[in-house]
Amino acid sequence: MKIKEEMKDGVMVLRLSGKVISGPDLMELKTVFQTAVNNDMGNVLLDLGHVAWMDSSGLGVLVSGYTSLSRAGARMVILNATKKIHELFIITKLITIFETFTDEKVALASLKE
Amino acid sequence: MLKGIVLKIPSDNSIVESVQIFVEKIGLTAGVSEEDVTGLSIAVMEVVKNAMEHGNGGDIRKHVTIHIDVFSGRLQFLIDDCGTWQPEADLGHEPGEGEALISSRGRGVLIARNLARWLDYGLNPEGKTRATLIWPLS
Repeated sequence: MKIKEEMKDGVMVLRLSGKVISGPDLMELKTVFQTAVNNDMGNVLLDLGHVAWMDSSGLGVLVSGYTSLSRAGARMVILNATKKIHELFIITKLITIFETFTDEKVALASLKE
Repeated sequence: MLKGIVLKIPSDNSIVESVQIFVEKIGLTAGVSEEDVTGLSIAVMEVVKNAMEHGNGGDIRKHVTIHIDVFSGRLQFLIDDCGTWQPEADLGHEPGEGEALISSRGRGVLIARNLARWLDYGLNPEGKTRATLIWPLS
């Protein structure tokens, strides 16, 4: 898994690619979320457009990031989940808590509301 | 033909990645496509992680045993743990709502069921929990 971080319109954008599965990379993602919360970075846009696979450990880190940000008064929304990842959100019912978008401008605008 | 492969591993999360790589190699050798092999390994490892965490309670002294066989047109994994989970008591498990949904319980098995063509739970001859995962080979 690769993680690219950038600030866009005051929103922290995290672009993930590859496999979001068990392993050392997941610790890195967890740290990125924790740093965002500790440094009061505000809202997070998580771009999953290039994520090929995700397992329950990967989902667990996303949920943990979402929960930590929510508790800190910030929001996390998801951009461009592939069909495979979207299916995962549906079967685990996480689709009921994750806000998902297919247009980056719309997603960024929603985080400014 | 791959027959009678048995892998006995401790309930130790640090070994999961290595086992996943092994499962991918078995899958490729058996004829699973490059495109599908990650799905196969994720499905198997979700069941294995579930066996480690729930069946064996994360006790590193307890093992998970994976039996792998290739039959005509299908790859079979039998995954045994030391637990005595009664599947009939948990059939139709749902992810829950609210806090229950946020917690991680049961998510791995849901993912495995979604990826695998066939996943069933029962008991092995010793009366311990056995998951059977079958992956068709084209």
